[in-house]
Amino acid sequence: MSETIVGLENLTKRCSVLEELKLGIARTEKVMSEPMVRFENVAKRYGTLSVLDELNLDIARNEKVCIIGPSGSGKTTVLRMLMTLERINEGVIWVDGEPLTHMRKNGQMVPANERHLRRVRGKIGMVFQHFNLFPHMTALQNCVEAPISVLGLSRQEAETRAAELLDMVGLSDKKNHFPIQLSGGQKQRVAIARALAMRPKVMLFDEVTSALDPELVGEVLNVIRKLGTEHDLTMLMVTHQMAFAKEFSDRVCFFYGGKIAEQGPPDQLFGDPQHERTRQFLSAVLEAR
Amino acid sequence: MMNELALGFSVAALAKGVIITLVVTLASSLVAIVLGLIVGLIRISLLWPLRWFGVAYIEFFRGTSMLVQVYWWFFVLPIFGVALSPWTVAIFGIGMNVSGYGAELVRAAIQGVDRGQYEASIALNLPRLTAMRRIFLPQAIRAMLPAWGNLLIDLLKSTSLIFFITITELTTASKLAADATGNYLLFFAVALFGYYVIARALITPLVRWLERRFSRGFVREAQA
Repeated sequence: MSETIVGLENLTKRCSVLEELKLGIARTEKVMSEPMVRFENVAKRYGTLSVLDELNLDIARNEKVCIIGPSGSGKTTVLRMLMTLERINEGVIWVDGEPLTHMRKNGQMVPANERHLRRVRGKIGMVFQHFNLFPHMTALQNCVEAPISVLGLSRQEAETRAAELLDMVGLSDKKNHFPIQLSGGQKQRVAIARALAMRPKVMLFDEVTSALDPELVGEVLNVIRKLGTEHDLTMLMVTHQMAFAKEFSDRVCFFYGGKIAEQGPPDQLFGDPQHERTRQFLSAVLEAR
Repeated sequence: MMNELALGFSVAALAKGVIITLVVTLASSLVAIVLGLIVGLIRISLLWPLRWFGVAYIEFFRGTSMLVQVYWWFFVLPIFGVALSPWTVAIFGIGMNVSGYGAELVRAAIQGVDRGQYEASIALNLPRLTAMRRIFLPQAIRAMLPAWGNLLIDLLKSTSLIFFITITELTTASKLAADATGNYLLFFAVALFGYYVIARALITPLVRWLERRFSRGFVREAQA
């Protein structure tokens, strides 16, 4: 009798463990299925000029999204809002399941304070068109500054990691060079390593090859390609490199007049564009090549 | 004989005057640099009371006469029971006046740092103060150094004003020596070149050295 009771107890215990496991899996599934980045009715205006208008965009975990479009269409603004370089006027941006631009206070959504911004922003890294490396620091110093003062790594730890990252972008022999001693392509690769050193979940690339000499574009795109295949990163990229967008991305968004005019898998968007403006843009861009 | 004696005394007094000018220049430069840096940073603070204080400070010290400010510290403050020694007045009177100009140099240089540097600091999540200390200030200091060089040379020449609060510095000593010996040509030539030599031998090399130090990474140089 007592054996039966013990057996039953064991069984219920096992059941509850199983339940918890199930709950855990469900939670993971929920996290995996919810988008990494969500723009919810986001609007951006400068005075009376509307730059982005009711933007709704979900980006899945590990998804690679390229944003294309004519200048002034608001595509760079999308990245800058996500990096919190621009305030939004309406809507909410979500990152990894929590609001970035807002926080919950007494059950209400209020604009995020600096502390909240800093915490959520830590999941995002950005690479800029004009590199924005710190000119007074070597490549290695550029890559250890924030990991030490923000992530709290020891100098040794940070330097080891930075050296690994510089090695990954093919610059292990340049780690003690100052930015001015590097070519544009090398600078941009240092900038990528510097952003990665903060261990972001989302990487933003804002026209990262537009300021480069044509023969240096390839080395930077190769690094980005490698990142996409070897790391679990959600990537959002504003680019004019149509061939790269076609080959690299899971989805392409064509921005026009502050809206997503058309989006879809690259084959569809480049092969069979539905929107008249997309066709015009693509033929103009491809003709120029 | 009499004349030689006067000459001897005058030269000794002149040497003392040079030393006093040097000491006051050095000490008030330090005051000007430290306060200029602090007020310049306060001037661009995110907190409006601090910012407002910075503006008021700069407006007062930059907007009114240095000599009148020195007179206030020396002749007016004692009326309110605050008696300061001539040395304190000389060092802080000149230093605080110059710090008003210095604060504006600091503000302009920091605001002149490339916007991309601010954006990279945000993207790397650097705290504001860390970014200021590690990223913006080193670049701003490099940009503001030549202007500080001018300001400190100007400060050096302003030290002759402390004659009015009883300190016998270089200009005063030259005048006394010239009066005593009648040799105005010699002693005012000494004073004229004295300031030039101090500026050229001390201030300019110091600023040049600092410029070199803060220019790492800005100028293409041979690989070490």
